[in-house]
Amino acid sequence: MSYIPGQPVTAVVQRVEIHKLRQGENLILGFSIGGGIDQDPSQNPFSEDKTDKGIYVTRVSEGGPAEIAGLQIGDKIMQVNGWDMTMVTHDQARKRLTKRSEEVVRLLVTRQSLQKAVQRSMLS
Amino acid sequence: MPAELRQEQSPGSQASLATMPEAPEVLEETVTVEEDPGTPTSHVSIVTSEDGTTRRTETKVTKTVKTVTTRTVRQVPVGPDGLPLLDGGPPLGPFADGPLDRHFLLRGGGPAATLSRAYLSSGGSFTDGPEPRDVPSYGSLSRGLGVRPARGALCPGPVDGCFTLPGRREAFPAGPEPVPPAGRSQPERFQAEPYGLEDDTRSLAADDEGGPELEPDYGTATRRRPECGRGLRSRAYEDVADDGGELMEERPPFPAATAPLAQPERGSLGSLDRVVRRSPSVDSARKEPRWRDPELPEVLAMLRHPVDPVKANAAAYLQHLCFENEGVKRRVRQLRGLPLLVALLDHPRAEVRRRACGALRNLSYGRDTDNKAAIRDCGGVPALVRLLRAARDNEVRELVTGTLWNLSSYEPLKMVIIDHGLQTLTHEVIVPHSGWEREPNEDSKPRDAEWTTVFKNTSGCLRNVSSDGAEARRRLRECEGLVDALLHALQSAVGRKDTDNKSVENCVCIMRNLSYHVHKEVPGADRYQEAEPGPPGGAAGSQRRRRDDAGCFGGKKAKGKKDGEMDRNFDTLDLPKRTEAAKGFELLYQPEVVRLYLSLLTESRNFNTLEAAAGALQNLSAGNWMWATYIRATVRKERGLPVLVELLQSETDKVVRAVAIALRNLSLDRRNKDLIGSYAMAELVRNVRNAQAPSRPGARLEEDTVVAVLNTIHEIVSDSLDNARSLLQARGVPALVALGAASQSVREAKAASHVLQTVWSYKELRGALQKDGWTKARFQSAAATAKGPKGAPSPGGFDDSTLPLVDKSLDGEKPGSRDVIPMEALGPDGYSTVDRRERRARGSDPTGEASEKEPLKPDPGRKVPPGPSRPAVRLVDAVGDAKPQPVDSWV
Repeated sequence: MSYIPGQPVTAVVQRVEIHKLRQGENLILGFSIGGGIDQDPSQNPFSEDKTDKGIYVTRVSEGGPAEIAGLQIGDKIMQVNGWDMTMVTHDQARKRLTKRSEEVVRLLVTRQSLQKAVQRSMLS
Repeated sequence: MPAELRQEQSPGSQASLATMPEAPEVLEETVTVEEDPGTPTSHVSIVTSEDGTTRRTETKVTKTVKTVTTRTVRQVPVGPDGLPLLDGGPPLGPFADGPLDRHFLLRGGGPAATLSRAYLSSGGSFTDGPEPRDVPSYGSLSRGLGVRPARGALCPGPVDGCFTLPGRREAFPAGPEPVPPAGRSQPERFQAEPYGLEDDTRSLAADDEGGPELEPDYGTATRRRPECGRGLRSRAYEDVADDGGELMEERPPFPAATAPLAQPERGSLGSLDRVVRRSPSVDSARKEPRWRDPELPEVLAMLRHPVDPVKANAAAYLQHLCFENEGVKRRVRQLRGLPLLVALLDHPRAEVRRRACGALRNLSYGRDTDNKAAIRDCGGVPALVRLLRAARDNEVRELVTGTLWNLSSYEPLKMVIIDHGLQTLTHEVIVPHSGWEREPNEDSKPRDAEWTTVFKNTSGCLRNVSSDGAEARRRLRECEGLVDALLHALQSAVGRKDTDNKSVENCVCIMRNLSYHVHKEVPGADRYQEAEPGPPGGAAGSQRRRRDDAGCFGGKKAKGKKDGEMDRNFDTLDLPKRTEAAKGFELLYQPEVVRLYLSLLTESRNFNTLEAAAGALQNLSAGNWMWATYIRATVRKERGLPVLVELLQSETDKVVRAVAIALRNLSLDRRNKDLIGSYAMAELVRNVRNAQAPSRPGARLEEDTVVAVLNTIHEIVSDSLDNARSLLQARGVPALVALGAASQSVREAKAASHVLQTVWSYKELRGALQKDGWTKARFQSAAATAKGPKGAPSPGGFDDSTLPLVDKSLDGEKPGSRDVIPMEALGPDGYSTVDRRERRARGSDPTGEASEKEPLKPDPGRKVPPGPSRPAVRLVDAVGDAKPQPVDSWV
């Protein structure tokens, strides 16, 4: 998942469809994100490349919509409902996920294990 | 002493943090200053006389590094036996030469050669000859003024007072040298003589017109004067070039009084001269034999020379060379000089040991930690401790402890020092000098502490090592007699009203460090635990936590009530009866210490001491155990609260910070909270106002201090309607709103908004607020904008969550800006519990740290994310300051 400026980013992704849960007035997804182009990437414990400023999943609450949908901690979110998440600020990312008008968000996420699984299957 | 300050960064969230913020241990402190060579170094030089014979002489050069003394020393020729030939004749043969002169001038000694000879004859060291050693001419070159006052004798100990003040070097014009007489201590000695090269030195010498700056505290004092040698070196050339030696005549007579007592270094500067002297122009100008300074490898080789005085002199010269010269220090290490010196620490001759220790002291000082590591690697620490045990001579003890102080600032060495040296330092230095008697003799009155340099160095060393984490604290607490002796020393300091000195500062810092987490770490602590269960396991626990999540208020109220009940039990303050007097570490938390700390806070003017005493109180009142409750009540009963409130007016950031957090912890006691709310509110608000609109430029408080003050305000207005009212009366609301709006720091804004929300939650006050013109919207937006910058600070971990800033009831702002949505419906395992657990495990609050100088090691209980470890503590360094804090948001 290393990023070479100017080159298209390729990654093996998984589609995750999260149905938001209504809690009172709020629609929650049940996970927490970290990262963003305005954040410090070296503090990210999940990224392979410590200069990666992408949006990562830092926590997943148990039993929440995200966990049910298959989101895992450490995943990097590439897209949300078609909107790119690889080059956004933290705030923008949060907003894209928490639009009140959308009850379902479809994410494209990638993680190391996916990458490896594909490589292995390609080798064998 | 340069203090190495680094502080630990604490987890970001404030309010919901564990109720007892604690002061993290103090960080390490400064290392000792590099000491300057005071010891005369002997300079070995090779002199080639004109007629071609070569003579090796050893010059004892006193290193008075400090200043380049331009002494116009007239060199008194000294015969081979070291006695000066006072024939006033030609300049000392080879020695009278410029190079020599220069050195001597610097050092105020006579011709180097002669000096050396003199020294040599005396066994190579100036030793404490009570009288200036040689002839008047030399004599005058007593060891610098700076000689520690403690040593009466003119021992050629570390020469403090180099007379020439390097500072003035620049003043030297190219033309005729004004020549500051620098170090010439005895005017009578000097007779301006038209010695060719003497001028150079003179010019080099910094003026010492002002008299040498004495550093009375030689041991660890920083030598402020720039190294003479260096200056000398740089100057020499130009001077030489310029003058060609004619200056001599023009030199004005030296003011006799440059250094009334200054003992001119005995020629130690000669070596400097020599260094300078290498200039070919100089040499070529003369026909006399010259010598050159030994190169570093030669000096190191001399350390192995069979003749003992050679060893001693070499070590002394080495010390001189290393003074404030990082390059030389590095080279010495590279040339493997350190093991040689460490080996000399066990040498049978005292002089050799002393010089070696002096050299090691210089070498161990400095930012570069490689030398410290190298000293450890060749067994330096045990050797030093052995020397301390064996030595009776005070100077050696000072040098040893000074070296240990230097070494203790290097983190990996701290445990090593504890392992080898703790017992010795305690028994040999701390206990004797503190005046504490193990078996108190009923008849005699308690002895007073002696504030010696050795004690200061040792306490500094222990201060550093005490910041090394839980294990270090445990060892120090359990070291027999240490806590008792320190307390006794502090008591005696308070009794004598002598609370501003460095030793007291060191002792209080040690006490503060040892008080950190005392409720968790002392054996038997759990006996005294009360209230909340530690691990957040039980349903009750999670329930409480959940309530916390529900908003800022709910949970807090529950907690508040609970604590309140507990406090009521102790209103009568019945301390547990003790069958025997407390001793050892138990003394750390007896209520009697409260009086001691409060006295220190009242009397001392030393900011570090004030900060440490407040920090100790902060630590002690931050426990969830019985003793903390007693301490909190005792502070109140001893009328300590007004003392602390008054210190909030201090101009020093760290004092305000420590006091604010101490007050915050103290307000866990209900009665304290009420009192603090009434009396401290005005001061706290004033600090907030100053933070936002500093009365003077440059008076702006640091971020951490402001956050601490805000958190304190928050603590006292939570669960106390009266205090919230006091806040309103103190016109705190406008100040907070302004701070929230104007502040650059997210943490400050967040903390401010947190307080505002808490205030808003009191329905009773809404009327008053609205009367003042605060509508809900305005209030909310003030709170909201304060949270605006989304980089909500969560210092430390990438996965720290942000505070639940928005309470549902207050939600008037646009949706979508919520930071945290409690997952109550999903069960108690929501993020909040994780946070709480984490935060509790850490037990420290960002604002709750009265720390000092070293990064606190990450608490092992903490869930540390893999990857980069916790950034260094923020207060001073803020390494990560430039980058935004990692945040994460719940969605």
